[in-house]
Amino acid sequence: MPIDGTAIELLLPEIIIGSAATILFLGGTFVSSRGLWRTVCGLVFVVAAVVLFRQHGLTLDETLRAGPLQLDQLGLSARWLSLAMGICFVWIVSRDGVDHLTGERLGMVLLAFAGLMIVGWSGDLILLFLGLELISIPSYVLLFVGRSDRSSSEAATKYFFLSLLSSAVMMFGFALLYGVAGTTDLTLMGARINGLSDDGFGRFLPLAIVFVFSGLGFKIAAVPFHFYAPDVYQATTNGNAGLLAVVPKIAGFVALLRLFPLVLVSTSKFGWQVALILAVLTMTIGNVCALWQSNIRRLMAYSSIAHAGYMLIGLAVALVAGDQRNGYGGFAACLFYLVVYSFASAGTFAVLAHLSTPSQEINCLNDLSGLFQNRPIVAGLLAVFMFSLMGIPPLAGFWGKFTLFTGAVATSRSLAGSQSMWYLVLAIIGALNAAIAAAYYLRVVGVTFFSSAEGDLGSPRISGSVVAAVACASMVLVLGFYPAPTMEHFRQVGNSINQAAASSMSNESITAQYDTGESPHIVPANLP
Amino acid sequence: MPQLLVIAVFLPLVGAAITLVLASKAPQLARWMALATSLATLVIAMVITRGFLQTPLVRGAAANSATYASVDRPWLTDGAPVDIRMSLGLDGLGVWMFALSALLMVTSILVSWKAIDRGQPLFYAMLLLLECGCLGVFTARDLILFYVFFEFTLIPLFFLIGIWGSEERRYAASKFFIYTLAGSILTFLGLLTIVLHYYFVTGGDRLVFSIPTLTTFLGENPLPVATQVWVFLALFAGFAVKVPLFPLHTWLPLAHVQAPTAGSVFLAGILLKIGTYGFIRFNIPMLPDATAMFVPWLLGLSVAGIVYGALVALAQSDIKRLIAYSSVSHLGFCMLGLFALNRIGVQGAMLQMVNHGISTGALFALVGMLYERYHTREIADYGGLARRLPIMAFFMLLFTFSSIGLPGLNGFTGEFMVLLGMFQRGWAEGPAALSHPLRVISVLSLLGVVLGAWYMLWLVQRVFFGPLKEPPQAGNHHEAANDLNGREIAALVPLAVLVFWIGLCPQFFLRPVAPAVNAAMTVAQGRLDAGPGSAPGEEVVAIVSSPEPQHAN
Repeated sequence: MPIDGTAIELLLPEIIIGSAATILFLGGTFVSSRGLWRTVCGLVFVVAAVVLFRQHGLTLDETLRAGPLQLDQLGLSARWLSLAMGICFVWIVSRDGVDHLTGERLGMVLLAFAGLMIVGWSGDLILLFLGLELISIPSYVLLFVGRSDRSSSEAATKYFFLSLLSSAVMMFGFALLYGVAGTTDLTLMGARINGLSDDGFGRFLPLAIVFVFSGLGFKIAAVPFHFYAPDVYQATTNGNAGLLAVVPKIAGFVALLRLFPLVLVSTSKFGWQVALILAVLTMTIGNVCALWQSNIRRLMAYSSIAHAGYMLIGLAVALVAGDQRNGYGGFAACLFYLVVYSFASAGTFAVLAHLSTPSQEINCLNDLSGLFQNRPIVAGLLAVFMFSLMGIPPLAGFWGKFTLFTGAVATSRSLAGSQSMWYLVLAIIGALNAAIAAAYYLRVVGVTFFSSAEGDLGSPRISGSVVAAVACASMVLVLGFYPAPTMEHFRQVGNSINQAAASSMSNESITAQYDTGESPHIVPANLP
Repeated sequence: MPQLLVIAVFLPLVGAAITLVLASKAPQLARWMALATSLATLVIAMVITRGFLQTPLVRGAAANSATYASVDRPWLTDGAPVDIRMSLGLDGLGVWMFALSALLMVTSILVSWKAIDRGQPLFYAMLLLLECGCLGVFTARDLILFYVFFEFTLIPLFFLIGIWGSEERRYAASKFFIYTLAGSILTFLGLLTIVLHYYFVTGGDRLVFSIPTLTTFLGENPLPVATQVWVFLALFAGFAVKVPLFPLHTWLPLAHVQAPTAGSVFLAGILLKIGTYGFIRFNIPMLPDATAMFVPWLLGLSVAGIVYGALVALAQSDIKRLIAYSSVSHLGFCMLGLFALNRIGVQGAMLQMVNHGISTGALFALVGMLYERYHTREIADYGGLARRLPIMAFFMLLFTFSSIGLPGLNGFTGEFMVLLGMFQRGWAEGPAALSHPLRVISVLSLLGVVLGAWYMLWLVQRVFFGPLKEPPQAGNHHEAANDLNGREIAALVPLAVLVFWIGLCPQFFLRPVAPAVNAAMTVAQGRLDAGPGSAPGEEVVAIVSSPEPQHAN
C-alpha cells in the first residue's frame, strides 16, 4: 500500500523518536554525559507526546487508514502506553552501567519504544513484523552493551538466538497468512480469511495461526515459550530485565489483539480451548515456579510469565464472546490488565535499579533485607507494587483481576454445558493462582520490611529510577482508587476490536456459506 | 447523619496519613495523633449509633434492605457496564460491630502506648488503617466496596504482625495473609456469580452490586439449588477461614501469639467477626437452600471447633496461645448459634460476637500488660500475682468470668441463647431425619462450656493465686512491678462497663438487632424447618449422604 503525506504526518512521533536515537548514537561518541542524554530523551518523549496529542482531533471517532497504518482506539492507547513506559525506562535504564555508554544505551531504548509504537498501530503484516523487530534488535544490543562478564554474554546470546528463532517462526506464520489471504493488509485479510473453507487454502490457516502464536508467545513469555525468561532476566541488569518484562509483553499482546479478530471465525472451533489451556498452564507454571526463587529477577521473570497467563484469560474470554454480555469483555480486560501490569512491573524494576549500583547489582532476595529500616520510602514503593501485582484492593491490580474474573465467570454463566464448566474452572484456577502468587510477593515484602539489614544498601540518594518508581506508584494508586475512566476507555477499545471482527465477518455472505460447508472463491484479482 | 458515617469510616484513613507524614519528624507525636483520631472516630460512631437506636425499626422482610444513614455515591458507573457505588449504611446486622470497632481501637492504641518503642508512626498509621477497613466492612452496602474493605484489612495487619510481632512473626504474618487471601478470592468468585445471576435473570444493562437489592431479589427468586451449593462453598471458603472454623483455624493461634498486643486485641475483637458477619450478611439470606443443606455439616464443624479448641487450650503452657485457642472455641459457639437457624440462636450468635470481642479483646490486652511487666508468657513462670497486682487480678477475673459465661455478665446471655437455640433445633424444630446428629451436637456443645470454665479458671488460678512467684523482670530487677496505671485502667474500664451492661440488660442490645436478623434468616429457617419432605429437601438427603457435595453449575 502506498505511503502518502498523511501517513508520514501521522508517523511523526515515531519519526521524532527514531531520529533522536540516531542523534544519540552519534552524539554519544563525543559527549558522555549521562544527565545531558537523559534530559534529551525526556524532551524527545515530551515532544512526541505533544505531537501525538495533536493527532487526537482527527482520529478519535473512527478508524483511520493511512498507508499501512491503522489509527484506531487500540493503536492510540498502545502508543500512549508506550510513551508513558518510554519515559519511565529512560529514567530507569540511564541508571545502570557505565557512564560513557549512556548515549548508546538510551538510543537503543528510544528505538525499542519507537518499535513498540509502530506495533501499536500497524495495519499491515510487514509493518507489524518490522515493528516487532525494531523492539528485538535494540534489546540484543542493550543486553550486551557495556558489560563483559560471562553471565551477560550468556543472557545476550540466549536471548539473541531464541528471539531470532521466534521471529523466524512468526515470519513463517505471516508468510502462510499471506499465502492464504493474498494480501498483507490486515482489514482485507480479515474479510478474506473468514470466508475461506476448510478444504481449500483454508487448510493452512490453523498452521499459520499456530506459527504466529508461537512467535508472539515468545514475546509475551507464555508457556511453552517461556524458558528463556528466567535465565535472561537473571543474567542481565535490573533495568534491562524490566525492559524485557514490559516492552515485548505489550507488543505481543497488542499484536495478538490485532491479529486474533481476523481469525475469529476460523478459530471458533479450537481457539478458545487453546487460549484457555495456555492461560491455565502459563499462570500455574509461572506462579508455582516463582515460589522457590531466591534471585529477585528470576522471581520477577516467573511472575511476568504468570501475568501473561492472567491476560490470556482475557483472550480466552474474547474468543467465545458471542453476545458480549460479559462485563467489560475479554479484550478490554486483557488491555486493562496489560496497563496495570506494565506500571507495577516497571515500577518494581525501577526500585531494583534504583537500589543497584554499577558495582553491585541487587540480585538475591536477601539483598533487599533491611530496606525498610534504611530507606522506608523506597520500601513503601516496592510494597505498593507487590500488593498491586498480588491484586489486593484498593490497588490497580485488583481491578485488573476484577475485569478478568468477571469476564470468565460471566462467560461461564452465558454458555451451557462443558464449555461453561471450562470457564468456571478457568476462573477458579485463576483465583487459586492469585493466592499462590501472594506467597512469593509476600516474601519480597517480608524481606524488605521484616528482616534487619544484612548487606550494605548504601546511603539514601535520589536517582532517576526512583522518580520513575514514584510515577509508576502514583499510576498504580490512581488506577486503584479511580479506575473508572481507564476501564471505560478500554471497554470502548474492546468494543471497537469486536466491531472490526464482526464487520470483517459479515463483510460478505461468505460467512453463511462457510457454515454450510460450501467453498467460496476468493479471487486474487480484487487486490487493489 | 449520612455525612457523619462517611466521616467516621474515613477519618481513620486521614488520621493515618497525617500520623505518617507529620509524626515521622517526632515519633512521640504519633500516638497522641492516633489517640485523638480514634477518640474522634469513637465519638462520631457513638453519635451515629445513638441516632440508629432512636430511629424506629423496620420490621418484616423490608428489614433486609433497610439501612440507616445510607450514603450512595457513584464510583464506577459512568458509562461502564458495572454499577459499583460508594455505598455505606448501617443496619441491625452491623451496628454493634461497627460501634465495637471504634471502641476497641481506642483500647488497642492505649495498650500500645509504651509497648511499641520503634517505628511508632507506621505502627499507629497501620492501626488506624485497620480501623478504617473494619468500619468499612460493617457498613459497606456494595459488594465490591465490601470486598475492597475486607481485603484491605489484610495489609495493615500483615505489617503489624510482621514488623512488631515476636520471634516467628514473618511466618505468622505470611500464613495469616495467604490463608485469608486464598479463601477470600474464592469468596470473590462466589459474589461475582451472585451478581451475574441477577444480571442475566433481570436482563439489566449493567452489573448491580448493591447488597440490599441483591438480598431482596435472592430472597424472592432464589438461585437454582445446584448453583447455590457451589456459591455457598465459595463464600464459605473465605468466611470460614476468617472465623476461623475448624479445621481452617491453624493460622489463628500462630497469628495471635506472634502479633503485638494491639494486633491481637483487634484481631480477636473485630477481624474474626468479619467471618461470622459474612455468613449472616451473605450466605444465610442469599443462599437459603444451600444454607439449609449444609446446616448439619456446619454445626458439626462448629462443635468440633468448640471441643477441639477447648481441649487444646487446656493443654497450653503459654497464656496468649491459650486465649487464642479459646477464641477458636468461642467462635464455634457463634457459628453454632448462627446455623441453629432459629431466632434465639441467631440473635444469641450476634450478641456472642460482641461479647467475645469485649472479653477476649480485654483478655489479650491484659496478657499484653502482663508481658510488658515480666517479658514472659509462660504460665509456669507466674503465681500469686493477685497479691502484687490486685487491680489487674480484678480485671482478669472479671473478664474471665465474662468469657466463661457467669450469669449476670455478658457471656452468659449470649452463650445461653446460643445453646437454647441449638437445643430447640435439636429437640423441637429440627428436621426429623437429622434429629439424632443435631441432638448429639447440642450435647457436645455443652461440653465446651464446661471445658471453657475449666481452662480459664485454671489459668487464673495458676497465674494469680497460690504462692507468689514472679519471673525476673527484664532490665529492671530491683523495683517491684507496678499495678495497672491510669492509662491501662482507662483502656479496660469501658469494656468492663459493657460486660455488666450487656449482662444485665441484653434487651437493649438485642432489640435493634432482632428485625434485621429475623429478616435475614427467615427464608433459610423455613427451608430447614420444612425438612426432607419439601422440594429442596430431597437434595438435602442427597447432599448430606455424599461426603463431598458436587460442584455443579
